Amino acid sequence: MAQVLTEGRIRTARLAGDRSGLGQVTLAVLTLLLLLAMAISMTTGASGASIWTWMQGVLGLLPQGHEISLRDHAVIVNIRLPRMLLGMLIGAGLAVSGLLMQGLFRNPLADPGLVGVSAGAGLGAVGMIVLGTTALAPLTAFLGIYALQIASFVGGVITTFILYRVATRSGQTAMATMLLAGIALGALAGAATGVLVYVANDAQLRDLTFWGMGSLAGANWTKIMASGPVILAALLAAAFLGKGLNALTLGEATASHLGIPVQRLKHIVILAVAGATGASVAVSGGIGFVGIVVPHLLRLVIGPDHRYLLPASALLGASFLLLADAVSRVIVAPAELPIGIVTAAVGGPFFLWILLRKRAVFSW
Amino acid sequence: MIQAQDITVDIAGRRILHGVSFSARPGTLTAVIGPNGSGKSTLLKALCRDHRYGGTIRLNTQDLAGLTPAQAASLRAVLPQASNLPFPFTVREVVALGLTAGRPGVLPGTLHRLPEQALARVDLAGFGGRFYGELSGGEQQRVQLARVLAQVWIPVLDGVPRYLLLDEPVSSLDIKHQILIMDVARQFAREGGGVIAILHDLNLAAIYADQILALRDGRLQGCGAPADLLTDQLIADVFDCPMRVGMVPPAHIPFVLPQSADHVELAAAG
Repeated sequence: MAQVLTEGRIRTARLAGDRSGLGQVTLAVLTLLLLLAMAISMTTGASGASIWTWMQGVLGLLPQGHEISLRDHAVIVNIRLPRMLLGMLIGAGLAVSGLLMQGLFRNPLADPGLVGVSAGAGLGAVGMIVLGTTALAPLTAFLGIYALQIASFVGGVITTFILYRVATRSGQTAMATMLLAGIALGALAGAATGVLVYVANDAQLRDLTFWGMGSLAGANWTKIMASGPVILAALLAAAFLGKGLNALTLGEATASHLGIPVQRLKHIVILAVAGATGASVAVSGGIGFVGIVVPHLLRLVIGPDHRYLLPASALLGASFLLLADAVSRVIVAPAELPIGIVTAAVGGPFFLWILLRKRAVFSW
Repeated sequence: MIQAQDITVDIAGRRILHGVSFSARPGTLTAVIGPNGSGKSTLLKALCRDHRYGGTIRLNTQDLAGLTPAQAASLRAVLPQASNLPFPFTVREVVALGLTAGRPGVLPGTLHRLPEQALARVDLAGFGGRFYGELSGGEQQRVQLARVLAQVWIPVLDGVPRYLLLDEPVSSLDIKHQILIMDVARQFAREGGGVIAILHDLNLAAIYADQILALRDGRLQGCGAPADLLTDQLIADVFDCPMRVGMVPPAHIPFVLPQSADHVELAAAG
């Protein structure tokens, strides 16, 4: 049976225009890349703590007389490990959010950061930081560590929903309308955020500044407990959307003719995008361009089949953010560059390159 | 059988279809004709649930409104007028989208061969590896038809007939491929499936259809076999322009000849 299956696969791979074999190889390569990025992330840092020594210590393999110091143990377990996990979660979450949004809007330029969804999520987070101790105090008490995440999530959902209603007519999303509506929504969210910052007191301003820097530096287990489940749920939901998003590229009507429950698909996509973006923005502020660079790069390699793009984006997004984080820690050591600067420095030029290249090949 | 009973469609407060009733039997090809804005596409969109409609539509024995998208997809495939793709799919990948939820009716082991077979049927063998966006308009239309064919590859599955709903399937094709595609559609019907196609070319409708529905201003002006339905009077009523209907003798198939203003004057003088 196994042999028959293998033969089938080889035959499939040889069919012209079928890129599923390439997709499988790419997934394997990206898994290795992620493992490498994880190793780099765990071994990079200002302190001299060695992950290898720590592992030997945990496994009881250190020679007699050697043991890991409490300080090194704390660095590994309470700083580097949560930072790595948070980086993976946020990188995967942002990349998959971008891909989902591009599939929903049938537009390769859609991205939560570009069309105001991140700004909306940010407004939710800032609102919770500023009003959480006064007007929204009962809510904060009720929601506990999840307050910031839920506020960002709600901000993200509302923005995505408005954007979708404004930019989509009879199943077709107008590119110009979407970007312009995104700019308007982003400006509106920015103005409201400005008002909140204006009325904030000194302690809140300090919280806001730390939050807004777009960094993984404050990673800890509490943040992972608060954001991890939301992002993981969004990623898990996204894993089942590949077929539907493929059909949706032909338009909503045709997707429905192909047997996809389009309304349900759209609702799940909006919730997943808002959840992953909201949770990412809540813990790390604004980290731009991951959602647009990663899916684009992968589309160039394996084509637009979402069944492969979704897991590949999660893997590459996680690796990209871990590597960007490593660069941000090393480049001006012992200080740290906010990671948003690194992703924007890579993403900005890449985005311009896409625009130039696309103009030659496609017109929309 | 597709049975439409008293179908009305309102769009933005305006009634586009006024109580259209007809039935399309499996094993036959039904052509829908009529001038621009007569409600042809609206009727087809009601049949595939893109528009909300009043009245009842039955697909075989079931009420269309009660089917899930997946159930409907296993019973009928729809060719839209235009399809643009925002992402760089290969031709094969586009055709494979037809397998999303439909039940083509072939053995799972041979499923991966189906896109190539469907492409061969629309005269695009060997195009699987090309990018969809690089093809000509007519070639893209045939790729979409291959996708639609793949969705309901076997016209009768487990004794249940299936249907093709085609919105202007030959509109941007050269004459050779118009004939080819109409042959494919008729073959589907001959094997027990049902086809409803919107056609602008009255002569293609006359040659290929078993039944013609003539629409004007959202109302059914006539319904019947080409030889009975296509008369000078009906054509003049429906299209509001002078045309002469003749007969191709041996097969007794009508043909329609447009008349220019000069022809009409000459005829009047003669």
